[in-house]
Amino acid sequence: MAITFQKVGYQYPQLQQQKWAISEIDLLIEPTKEFVAVIGHTGSGKSTLIQHMNALLTPTVGQLNVFQHEVAKGKPLSPIRKRVGMVFQFPEYQLFEETVERDIMFGPLNFGVSKDVAAAKAAEVLSVVGMDESFLSRSPFSLSGGQMRRVAIAGILAMEPDILVLDEPTVGLDPAGQEEMMKLFTSLHDDYHKTLVIVTHDMNIVAEYTKRVLVMKAGQLVFDGSPQALFTDDAALELFELGRPDMMNVLASIANAAGTSKAASVITFDQVVAYLLEQS
Amino acid sequence: MQVVIGQYIPANSWVHRLDPRTKLVGLILLIVSTFLIQELITMLSLLFVVLVLFASSKIPLKRFFRGIAPLLFLLTFTVIFQLLLNRQGELLYQRTAYLGWQQALLTLIVIVVYQLLKRVTRYRFAMFVLSLVVVFYSIQLEFAGSWLTFDIAVYQGGVVFALFLVTRIVILITLSSLLTLTTKPTDLNNGLEEVMKPLRRFKVPTNEIAMMIAIALRFIPTLLDEANKIMKAQSSRGVDFNEGTLRQKVTQIISLLIPMFIISFKRADDLANAMEARGYAPGRIRSKYVTFHMQVPDYVLLAVTIGWIPVVVLLGL
Repeated sequence: MAITFQKVGYQYPQLQQQKWAISEIDLLIEPTKEFVAVIGHTGSGKSTLIQHMNALLTPTVGQLNVFQHEVAKGKPLSPIRKRVGMVFQFPEYQLFEETVERDIMFGPLNFGVSKDVAAAKAAEVLSVVGMDESFLSRSPFSLSGGQMRRVAIAGILAMEPDILVLDEPTVGLDPAGQEEMMKLFTSLHDDYHKTLVIVTHDMNIVAEYTKRVLVMKAGQLVFDGSPQALFTDDAALELFELGRPDMMNVLASIANAAGTSKAASVITFDQVVAYLLEQS
Repeated sequence: MQVVIGQYIPANSWVHRLDPRTKLVGLILLIVSTFLIQELITMLSLLFVVLVLFASSKIPLKRFFRGIAPLLFLLTFTVIFQLLLNRQGELLYQRTAYLGWQQALLTLIVIVVYQLLKRVTRYRFAMFVLSLVVVFYSIQLEFAGSWLTFDIAVYQGGVVFALFLVTRIVILITLSSLLTLTTKPTDLNNGLEEVMKPLRRFKVPTNEIAMMIAIALRFIPTLLDEANKIMKAQSSRGVDFNEGTLRQKVTQIISLLIPMFIISFKRADDLANAMEARGYAPGRIRSKYVTFHMQVPDYVLLAVTIGWIPVVVLLGL
């Protein structure tokens, strides 16, 4: 098990009222080939939860282990951070070096990788995120927003983490940019067998791309299962105040117009196409 | 997220209700007067009045000590230097003192013990005074082979002047913390703008200065938030902000500062556009949402503080 939460709870120390940001979290995440979505309303504890995976926060109560390292105050945290990469919201703001290459090398160098290896790695990960080598010598601040975000993600990938945690990676991108970003994550999952944990508000992303979904509500983990199981459970959706992916709504409207109210348990575009072909 | 900047403590006292302009002008006049006062008794009376003011403001007295605490060390040194070096007036106390390796060793031990204990004890200042007393007594003992012998003498002038200085510093701190504790930062800024108004005759852009201060105050919590985010992001990239060699420290700071600069410039740009879109033009006269009205206590306080200065100067108090 790569990440194990056992009865983990966290309180922000600077807040006056003693409110649990997250509590009673039990969770297992595999080291490879997982594609997890974390959803929930603002203030439900999503960010607090994922910051634990990277040891940026340490549990107030409970036991948290990441790759056999215990996450607690006073324990060495850098082996954890090397294996679990964290991409924050708007990661383009963390760029600071003179060239794209040096910025990508920053992470590996911090973890003690030699300069030559880090430089080779920089060229490699830049192609993984879909940019060619001509960008290496450019200033990160001369790039477009989407390109900067790719470079920032490349900077995390260069550390060769097994698990990649991303906080709303598609926010602020146009639809084409969003789709390309999600294609990149799909390829990291399919081709490089990384485990991805994505925080998102977009139910379409949850339905189309992820394999497992965690729902946070008021600091508690209230659902852990497949997107299919979540979106076909009307009672749960109502209880968690979640919407459905567009594809389900489209299909429901079509069924409604056709006068059949038969519920279909299909949630992705491909499934909808297959379902319609089967019906006709 | 509501972040309170400054040290404003909400309460409903007459000091809180005073016009910020009155408080500012009164503060400046009283501070000026502490530099004009010549008699110790006048200074002590002023301190008494200031403490009564503080007590009447419903601010917990704890805050007064918290304001003074960081200055205790400075005050102690001021007193020691005045006592030992000022040689005016009557001689009050004289002793012969010796300095040898015994005293030097003891002093070294005291310093080491103090440095070790100051992290764990809550009574840091008491320890500091105790260390001084130990060293002071040790130099009065004569050992064989002293390096040098000298006189410690305390004169009346030293005592008076030390008290004078300490009282002045305490008055300054109490008054200025009273101002910031009882006035919201925005009110203070608006008051400052009004007080600076006469400077407009000399082409000082008072409106713009006040706007700049207001924006700076507004963005402190926002930027702290951003800095926190960037620090977390760089921590994920293996930066440990708590340790590292000097060289690593430089890289760490750069990895924080450059993103902060970029974010600040972007925010400034957005804010400038938003302000322009709402018709802000620098140099124009703007009407104010907040207007101040002087009440009876304001006039009384102003009259007293303005009258106080000529009284001090003319009567030579």
